[in-house]
Amino acid sequence: MNGPLIVQSDKTLLLEVDHEQAEACRRAIAPFAELERAPEHIHTYRVTPLGLWNARAAGHDAEQVVDALVAYSRYPVPHALLVDVAETMARYGRLRLLKHPTHGLVLESTDRPVLEEILRSKKIQPLVGARIDPDTVAVHPSERGQIKQSLLKLGWPAEDLAGYVDGEAHPIELREDGWTLRPYQRQAVEGFWHGGSGVVVLPCGAGKTLVGAGAMAQAKATTLILVTNTVSARQWKHELVKRTSLTEDEVGEYSGTKKEIRPVTIATYQVLTTKRKGVYPHLELFDSRDWGLIVYDEVHLLPAPVFKFTADLQARRRLGLTATLVREDGRESDVFSLIGPKRFDAPWKEIEAQGYIAPADCVEVRVNLTDSERLAYATAETEEKYRFCSTTATKRRVTEALVARHKGEQTLVIGQYIDQLDELGEHLGAPVIKGETTNAQREKLFDAFRAGELSVLVVSKVANFSIDLPEATVAIQVSGTFGSRQEEAQRLGRVLRPKADGHEARFYSVVARDTVDQDFAAHRQRFLAEQGYAYRIMDADSLLAGEEA
Amino acid sequence: MTTSRPPAAPRTLAEELRARPDDELAALLLARPDLINPVPGDLTQLATRAGTRASVVRALDHLDKFTLQAAEALAVAPDPCPYATLAALMSGDAPDDPRVARELPRAVAVLRGQALVWGGDDRLRLVRTARELLAPGATRPSPTGLGPSVAEATAGMSPGRIQQIIAAAGLPTTHDPVTAVTALTELFEDRTRMAALLAGAPAEAAAVLDRLRWGPPYGTVTAHPAPHLRWLLDRGLLLPVGTGNVVLPREVALHLRAGRAHRTPEPVAPELAPVTEHAERTVDATAAGQAFTALATVEELLKEWETGGPLVLRAGGLAVRDLKRTAALLDTTEPVAAFWVELAYAAGLLAADGDVDERYAPTPVYDEWLELPTAQRWTRLATAWLTATRAAGLVGGRDAKSRTLAALGPDLDRAPAPETRHRVLALLATLPPGASVPVETVLARLHWERPPRAVTGPEEDLRTRLARWALTEAELLGVTNRGALSGHGRALLPPAAGADDVPGPLRPAWRPPTDAELGAAGVRAAGLLAPLLPEPLDHILLQADLTAVAPGPLVRPLAQTLGVLANIESRGGATVYRFTPGSVRRALDAGRTADDLKAFLTAHSRTPVPQPLAYLVDDVARRHGHLRVGAASSYVRCDDEAVLAEILADRRSAPLRPRRLAPTVLAAQVPPDALLDGLREMGYAPAAESAEGDVLITRADAHRTPPRTAPAPLQEGPPAPDTTLLAAAVRAIRAGDMAATAERKPLPTAAEPSLGGLPRTTSADTLAAVQAAVLTGTPVWIGYVNAEGAASQRVIAPVRVEGGFVTAYDHTADEIRTYPLHRITGVAELADDHA
Repeated sequence: MNGPLIVQSDKTLLLEVDHEQAEACRRAIAPFAELERAPEHIHTYRVTPLGLWNARAAGHDAEQVVDALVAYSRYPVPHALLVDVAETMARYGRLRLLKHPTHGLVLESTDRPVLEEILRSKKIQPLVGARIDPDTVAVHPSERGQIKQSLLKLGWPAEDLAGYVDGEAHPIELREDGWTLRPYQRQAVEGFWHGGSGVVVLPCGAGKTLVGAGAMAQAKATTLILVTNTVSARQWKHELVKRTSLTEDEVGEYSGTKKEIRPVTIATYQVLTTKRKGVYPHLELFDSRDWGLIVYDEVHLLPAPVFKFTADLQARRRLGLTATLVREDGRESDVFSLIGPKRFDAPWKEIEAQGYIAPADCVEVRVNLTDSERLAYATAETEEKYRFCSTTATKRRVTEALVARHKGEQTLVIGQYIDQLDELGEHLGAPVIKGETTNAQREKLFDAFRAGELSVLVVSKVANFSIDLPEATVAIQVSGTFGSRQEEAQRLGRVLRPKADGHEARFYSVVARDTVDQDFAAHRQRFLAEQGYAYRIMDADSLLAGEEA
Repeated sequence: MTTSRPPAAPRTLAEELRARPDDELAALLLARPDLINPVPGDLTQLATRAGTRASVVRALDHLDKFTLQAAEALAVAPDPCPYATLAALMSGDAPDDPRVARELPRAVAVLRGQALVWGGDDRLRLVRTARELLAPGATRPSPTGLGPSVAEATAGMSPGRIQQIIAAAGLPTTHDPVTAVTALTELFEDRTRMAALLAGAPAEAAAVLDRLRWGPPYGTVTAHPAPHLRWLLDRGLLLPVGTGNVVLPREVALHLRAGRAHRTPEPVAPELAPVTEHAERTVDATAAGQAFTALATVEELLKEWETGGPLVLRAGGLAVRDLKRTAALLDTTEPVAAFWVELAYAAGLLAADGDVDERYAPTPVYDEWLELPTAQRWTRLATAWLTATRAAGLVGGRDAKSRTLAALGPDLDRAPAPETRHRVLALLATLPPGASVPVETVLARLHWERPPRAVTGPEEDLRTRLARWALTEAELLGVTNRGALSGHGRALLPPAAGADDVPGPLRPAWRPPTDAELGAAGVRAAGLLAPLLPEPLDHILLQADLTAVAPGPLVRPLAQTLGVLANIESRGGATVYRFTPGSVRRALDAGRTADDLKAFLTAHSRTPVPQPLAYLVDDVARRHGHLRVGAASSYVRCDDEAVLAEILADRRSAPLRPRRLAPTVLAAQVPPDALLDGLREMGYAPAAESAEGDVLITRADAHRTPPRTAPAPLQEGPPAPDTTLLAAAVRAIRAGDMAATAERKPLPTAAEPSLGGLPRTTSADTLAAVQAAVLTGTPVWIGYVNAEGAASQRVIAPVRVEGGFVTAYDHTADEIRTYPLHRITGVAELADDHA
């Protein structure tokens, strides 16, 4: 009774990291418990029904879960919790979606009362067809996703064993010349392929694109890749051409500007969700080829309409890639039922410890508003307050000081408000990338930044996702999208790419003291701290004073 | 008087009790403690009291299933009943269960010991009241499902009809109905002749008999019954009761049942099986963990209620909304929350404060309790739970008037609760350590030990519900775990508990443990529990995400300070605290300083204090107290600073308690009018100012209330008695006293009534005589004083004596009447020649 784990009554698990059995324990609980916080000493995992079902889907049974809890727990585990775990896990797999030789897609149950219960639900009734025998009911093939979604909501998640169509075959090989998949990337690909469909969770900069490429090399079939924006689409294309046997011509881009459909097609969420006259005109992309694999980049940003389309794509293999399963809109359960359970997960710190992503030094710089600014802030309209305090002039001086301090290092200045960024760009003499910047211009600037011709770049939130800036070692955030946690993660990701010289990355967040800016920053930083990135707080005055000294 | 010849068979229960040795009588009184309350004057009185309805019901309630079955069988057997007949009724014509024969002597011994059965083995007699309670009546079936006997069912039938029946049954006609009935009864009781008779029955008739065989024995027929029913009615196999209703006579049913009074005699208690074995160590450890959680929960509850506890409803108890809130606070369901609240209440840690708007709050006992060592705190709760009559499980249910039962409210007391809890735990204690049995098994056993009275409605009987609750509550409290009794739970029971697995012939009535016994049990349990509880820690782990983790229970001072400085985020084996600006401010408000707090954190943290945390403390401290708020009753404003300085310096201003807030403002702690007066006395000419700063013109303004009546004086207690009443009361007391102590002359004999006065007997004799009259069915002559004080003499034939009333056929008034016993001055038997 001296294990590293403490089981809390709210179903969180506290893992003492410095304990000698901590590593073994982490391995034992990782399949079913979601890592919620990973600060320096005690990691918090949470046991949720989704987590337990993820574990079931990955082939773990309740006994293993209970054993892990009992074996590593420091104090006796409440019996009720163990019973609850066993009961929750038993709910998964009572219902299975199968392919029936004559009836097509069917829902089969090993527990007749459960089947009766769900068939009485108004949500399920329109999705099912005739009762084939007491334990089996036909399901309209088009409702495969819908029914999974609804069943999960009813608390009886179905195990999808109906299999996948192979899709149109297309030869794809990884070209490992001078590089190889990292061990965790290989595990992620294997985990995904074994499970059929699902989500791989890897931190930013850990090489999610390569996991996608690895999965494509496994599938050897035509692939549809959905990404967040055009820049990201180009980078995918670039990587795929570089790392695999695919040629430029085999990879198509389907975006606002180009509408290419090739064996491997990269489409943006934006173009798919464009609505004209009440219809989604680009939806036919999904049916334009017999896709063998669909890759969703940044699953946590998947727009709601795409969920709807995805519901109809349940016969195809689906791979979700993301840095975090946390969705600001709380639709984690839709990711589970429509894309698939979590297939691989590695905490940031661990990958960082293996040297694949750069360590980061996070600093919050607190700026004092001047008296006149404080008065103006106090009298500002509520909806204007955030804008006001996050674009205060004092911030500009601090940012300039920071840029000056890291002169010669590749520095990104990230912000939310365009006029603030324009002003900063002007003062710093740096180009600004914002929504209206053309893609060609963006790529040109990125290339210049990459090549070291430019050392400071001011970017708006358009650059939040998927752009690859390997040499950025300093990021300065002057304003954020309120308290968005995943944005913070993305921005931190900007500087976490491995650096050539192993230099420590720096992440500055400039925050106005005693304003809502500080509250939002606290919310975002809590996420950082929970990911194990200890941050420091500095006073702007001492920073400026230090500059002068 | 006594001779050497063998003692004659006793003629009454009193006689038999008289012959019993003292220890048997003592055992009887122990088993039926209601008999000595108050102490009866003699054995006649004892026997009388043992025969009263209330006492018999109570005694029957305490019988185990098999003994009750034996009593039920006796109730349908002839009176008196030889032991052999009883045995035949219990095991039937073809005994298939040897345990019935083996256990029956025990059952009879119990009944005899309880004074429910008396007489030798050749003539067992069930006490008359018990017989009435258990025997089938004309409309009420017995628990056995048997109907009335042929003789009873044919009581009102015309002699002609009876003759027809016996003719149809193939018997020779007789001269009178009595012999006819006897002949019919004999036929029904004769297995061979009866079998022959039934062999000729139409198939549907057999089916009807089969349906009625195990009861209820009643059926309905139309005015023109179907042929098969006609066949049965003709032969007396079904006898009419009232219009349209028929009954299966007892003898016929017994024939169909092969002589068995019960479908399934249950001679032995159901076994506690299947037994699941858990590791004893795990059970004890997990139960200890739960015990610890229980303490933490109660503490959390009371800590929350320390300030602004919930209001007491006018009808008493906790509002549903408050219970919901409490459940949310404790992160549990409402029934469980009700349990914790009731537990704290039963342990005396919580009570209503008795203020005007009454609230619940912790009691001073709570503070003492907090000081106890952990294990003892638990035993305080556990013993309080064990002996409490309050049943938290009732909360949320409805009472007889369908009012919702509120937690902490009235009407939650259930007398059998402590006994049930003890019994449930005692049953679990009979299992080996670490072993458990399914809940239903325990309930089945309890059912056998104390069969519930006929269940009405869909709800389970009270004892079963109490037992269910006891099992869940024991689990919550950490007395049991996974259904198995923990070591410390076992220690709560008296040492012998668990040994009395088989109820002896006379199990003494359960009595609650004395304080000394409970204390001893508590010490034993605490001793076992203490080593299993986690040691309190004196350190925490601080993390950069502004949380602190206490990886176990904390020593109290540390937990208290941390509780102020940080918010609790998660509980269980460990506690997770989160520091927020709000929580740090709370600590600063409580008088801590920033350095103080940082020193505290450094001293108690195993890990270095993270920079953001230290920064947070400093940052909050920087702003803390920046704005100051105070209360002033009035102020003085003056543009001339010198005047204010003058006022401050003046000693006469001291009672006004002025304080200079700014060069031109003084605050004072007296109301504005007092301040004005004070300043005027000092020789100034101040003017009052309105909230907007205008000068107020004041006039004496007389204030009036709306019309009000003068308050009525409150009456304390009943009005004082006047002198006449006082004198009468004293006289009555003196008279009673004299009657009790005076030496009496021997009473005149029963010839006295002929003198025309009212008969006089003592109340005990009256009761005995009236009860004897009920048994014999003879009329008696009574003297009666009615409510107006008018005395009269009446001849009555008592039918029933219960609850202090005699129900009797009054020959004088020619109707059934009820007389309070205390109004009967005396009873005398009638002369034999009286009709």
